[in-house]
Amino acid sequence: MFKSFDGVQVLNDINVTYEPGKCNMIIGASGSGKTVLLKNLIGLLEPDSGEISYGDRKLSTMSYNEKMKLRQNIGILFQGSALFDFATVLENVMFPMEFFTDWSKAQMRERAQYCLEKVNVTGSDDKYPNELSGGMQKRVGIARAIALNPSYLFCDEPNSGLDPYTSILIDRLISDLTKEFNMTTVVNTHDMNSILEIGDKIGFIYKGSLLWQGDKNTILHTDCRELRDFVCANTLARNIIEGR
Amino acid sequence: MIKKFFESVGSYFLFLKMVFRKPQKWGIFWRHFINESDKLILSSILIVGVISVFIGGVLVIQTASNLENPIIDKMYVGYMVRESLVLEFCSTMVALILAGKMGSNIASEIGSMRITEQIDAMDMMGVNSACFLVLPKVAAATLLSPLLMLMSFALGLVGGWFVVDMTQIIPTASYITGIKFCYNGFYIFYSCFKMSLFCFMISSIAAFNGYYAKGGSLGVGRSSTRAIVTTSILILMFDLIVTQLMLY
Repeated sequence: MFKSFDGVQVLNDINVTYEPGKCNMIIGASGSGKTVLLKNLIGLLEPDSGEISYGDRKLSTMSYNEKMKLRQNIGILFQGSALFDFATVLENVMFPMEFFTDWSKAQMRERAQYCLEKVNVTGSDDKYPNELSGGMQKRVGIARAIALNPSYLFCDEPNSGLDPYTSILIDRLISDLTKEFNMTTVVNTHDMNSILEIGDKIGFIYKGSLLWQGDKNTILHTDCRELRDFVCANTLARNIIEGR
Repeated sequence: MIKKFFESVGSYFLFLKMVFRKPQKWGIFWRHFINESDKLILSSILIVGVISVFIGGVLVIQTASNLENPIIDKMYVGYMVRESLVLEFCSTMVALILAGKMGSNIASEIGSMRITEQIDAMDMMGVNSACFLVLPKVAAATLLSPLLMLMSFALGLVGGWFVVDMTQIIPTASYITGIKFCYNGFYIFYSCFKMSLFCFMISSIAAFNGYYAKGGSLGVGRSSTRAIVTTSILILMFDLIVTQLMLY
């Protein structure tokens, strides 16, 4: 896949497959093209050339209605959570159910509460997003993303703005839900803790190109110089790599 | 600049095409329609009411002070106030006031949702965000705004009557006779139609500007300002066109 903006090549020959039941990670420095790749994957941007396929269905050949249908099978956690200001926590999680199921109000409420319990948010059903902490908002965002039991989960920098402890809780939550529901999860991050915690499959983007692919066990032993520079920005990783 | 103008016009009509799709769930649409009616129309009652009462009073004083010729019957003050209110003030002037209030409300609300990725989140769920967010606003503004016009008209006449009664600038009976003189029901329809059209423009153009807002909070502010300026100019232009088409 290729993508450019105003003649500047942002994504260059990206070729990658994401697998179900795994936390697939897109990593790279800020400005490397991670978010552009993610937006292409979910259809918010269109690649200049190349194809994105969900199973055997190509995104570019889908009609408007087919894309809408596919999107009901995709859960997304945005960087800023993107919870709806006009709705309470419970209403946020029930939102996709109201549109795409014929469930009764009671069934929707039950499912929403189940999803909120999964992400450890209880007792905040009637609160509005602006009454929640950043970590709580991310959890509610995840609960909303899994409300319709999607096959695909995309997370754009799920740890941004969170403290290390909450970050790890969110990472583990994403990993556990991925395995429990056998979702194809794609996480866009530059957080080394996340990468080492849940990175089942990792793709390193450098200046728009996919330079390296591996997993959390191999990333610290890479020969790729650009990736080593990225990883070694973290002191702990540098010490491990250098055997200290 | 001309190219940009035509691009914007094209984008606006493509946006309207997205807005006027069949709602995915009618129940959700009606719920939002009622909310928007409250937010856009009911909440405007106070400002429209207050302005109408005062303008009615002012029109009486201005008209009476310009009709000092003893040959002209004083009832013409009531007649001219009524005609001024129904033909221009209650639709065009009220619409210009609503362009500020309703337009900035819609543009900033939708613009904020755009920059915080809430609209992206809706799109990615498979929800037609333009239809879900904008159609209830446009429908409420277009269908219910004639009620505001009628209320404004009634309160304008009442405001005039207050001034007449308190100042006795003209006899109250003459004022009452004047506002009943040569009544033309078509003017009410004409004014309601203009109000509907203007409120459709206010809601859809403000929503369009908010929907494509970019550049953070500054961008939301810019989209809100652009929406108000654009609709104010278009209201005046269409006032001329509709008047020429319907009254001449």
